[in-house]
Amino acid sequence: MEGVTKMNKGLISGLVLLALGIVCGLLLSVVNYFTAPKIKEVEDAIKYEALAEFYTLADYDLSEVEGTGDFGTIFILKAKGTETIEALVYTVSAQGYSGANQKIQMLIAVNADLSVEGYKVVSHAESTGFGADIVNNDFGVSEIDDLSGFDSVAGVTETSNGIKTCFNLVGQRIAADLGGGLSE
Amino acid sequence: MDNLIMLAFSAFIIENIILTQFLGICPFLGVSTKRSSALGMGMAVIFVMLISSSVTWLLYKYVLEAFSIEYMRTIVFILVIASLVQMVETFLKKVSPPLYKALGIYLPLITTNCAVLGVAILNISKEHNFLEMLVYTTFIGLGFLFVMYIFSMLREKLDFAPVPKAFKGAPIALVIAAILAIIFSRFGGII
Amino acid sequence: MSNKENFFKGIIKENPLFVSLLGMCPSLAVTTSLENAIGMTLGVFFVLVLSNFIISLIMSNKKLAELVKPVRIPVYIVVIATLVTIVEMVMHAYLPSLFFSLGVFIPLIVVNCIILGRAEAFASENKPVDSVIDGVGMALGYGLAIMLISIFREFLGKGTLTVWGDFQINLTFIFDFLKIEPIAMFVQPVGAFLTFGLILAAITAIANNHKNKLAKKVANNG
Repeated sequence: MEGVTKMNKGLISGLVLLALGIVCGLLLSVVNYFTAPKIKEVEDAIKYEALAEFYTLADYDLSEVEGTGDFGTIFILKAKGTETIEALVYTVSAQGYSGANQKIQMLIAVNADLSVEGYKVVSHAESTGFGADIVNNDFGVSEIDDLSGFDSVAGVTETSNGIKTCFNLVGQRIAADLGGGLSE
Repeated sequence: MDNLIMLAFSAFIIENIILTQFLGICPFLGVSTKRSSALGMGMAVIFVMLISSSVTWLLYKYVLEAFSIEYMRTIVFILVIASLVQMVETFLKKVSPPLYKALGIYLPLITTNCAVLGVAILNISKEHNFLEMLVYTTFIGLGFLFVMYIFSMLREKLDFAPVPKAFKGAPIALVIAAILAIIFSRFGGII
Repeated sequence: MSNKENFFKGIIKENPLFVSLLGMCPSLAVTTSLENAIGMTLGVFFVLVLSNFIISLIMSNKKLAELVKPVRIPVYIVVIATLVTIVEMVMHAYLPSLFFSLGVFIPLIVVNCIILGRAEAFASENKPVDSVIDGVGMALGYGLAIMLISIFREFLGKGTLTVWGDFQINLTFIFDFLKIEPIAMFVQPVGAFLTFGLILAAITAIANNHKNKLAKKVANNG
């Protein structure tokens, strides 16, 4: 008899714990319902922080895909509520000067009409003095399919080759991507 | 492969759980007065860490993410750890009573050890895959054991040193820990 | 115990950090700036006061207490973990910069020995109102302790005191006056251990001094 009472007591205690767990879980799902949208806003702001330099993010629907090879994250900006791609921002890297393992990584923002909205060198391992200036340089590129302005501005050859390669890589795929070639 | 080696090295020394990440300080100061207890505690922690990190990693991936209830993470993780410690206690009591007695109160205290819950959460926030999680957790645990052991050796010697009254116990231990922290922070430049 | 005693014990006599040495992990990691310490205090305050209250409510009901006793530690843990998760979610949504500075230490509030310790030692055996006062006292004691450490660390290490966001007190002129740089080591792990150790030694010295004076008084009167 006593064994049964003990087991019952243990069972009831376990049930109390389970009940408490369920109550807490429900409470949290309520809090989550209220905070989740705000949290998404915060996370998106961080993710798309880089894009904010080129575009007013609130004007677009934002999404992204992971590129392969030389391409990192590709951000897709669509007109709000539509499937029309207004702009694409590419994370692309290419060989710079200092050694096989160090690449120049750039963010290149291209509009649907192939005009270049902006670009930024995100990271590089060039020795200071040579390529250190490239982060802030204006490379004179305004159309992605017309890089003629580039050579006249850039100074040092190897480094700027890396940057030119980045632009070229983007130029090669932009038409296909705008035409819906990006799988989300 | 060398990605994993880097991960292991960094977990052991550069991001050392005690001296850089400040997790596991309570046992670090509380259990490190004797070499034998430091060793025993360290091994128990490694064991609990490995199993709890594996179980919580699997739970997060296949249950919490699947049902979009990631916010239940803290509750689920700590309950897993508490149950695991309970099971280890019961197991040790049956299999090795002397070890159980030696660890004494420190065994249930592993539940509130920041390092155990901390590592479980870090594996998720660093987005490790299963193999990376195993490597990271193992070497974090070994780093914990390593520092605890060195520290216990220092503290054993400290018992014979003329320490000013105000510094006896925790304060002098913390100052010594500060010196250890400088040494470990210099490893950061290696990679 | 009077309410006043109950409240003040958490701040001085039984200060959870400096006397009981509980909750050390966050106090070393989070004290790199005053703002982080204040943020952590808010989190601990919310969790400690509410958990003390809820657990005291549960354990005050005789029948419920009987049922809960065999599983009381898991019950405490579930209550505390729920409160901590609420803090996590609210901070992530409305105080994101604080959330990212405090990082993993927000969920680690759940294993902060202070909270579980007070639940087991006090809240489970006292009335809800007393438990709330105890919680408030302990949380404030902990908060004042980590704020003290962070004032030292941030001032010596960076020369500023960041109170909240952009509200920052810039004291670098003191360093300029003394013609030295802020001592960066204080905002690194070294400084954490060192500051905490030195403050602890100072407090021990003051306490010993106080004890000696009291002993002398008793001896003189006796």
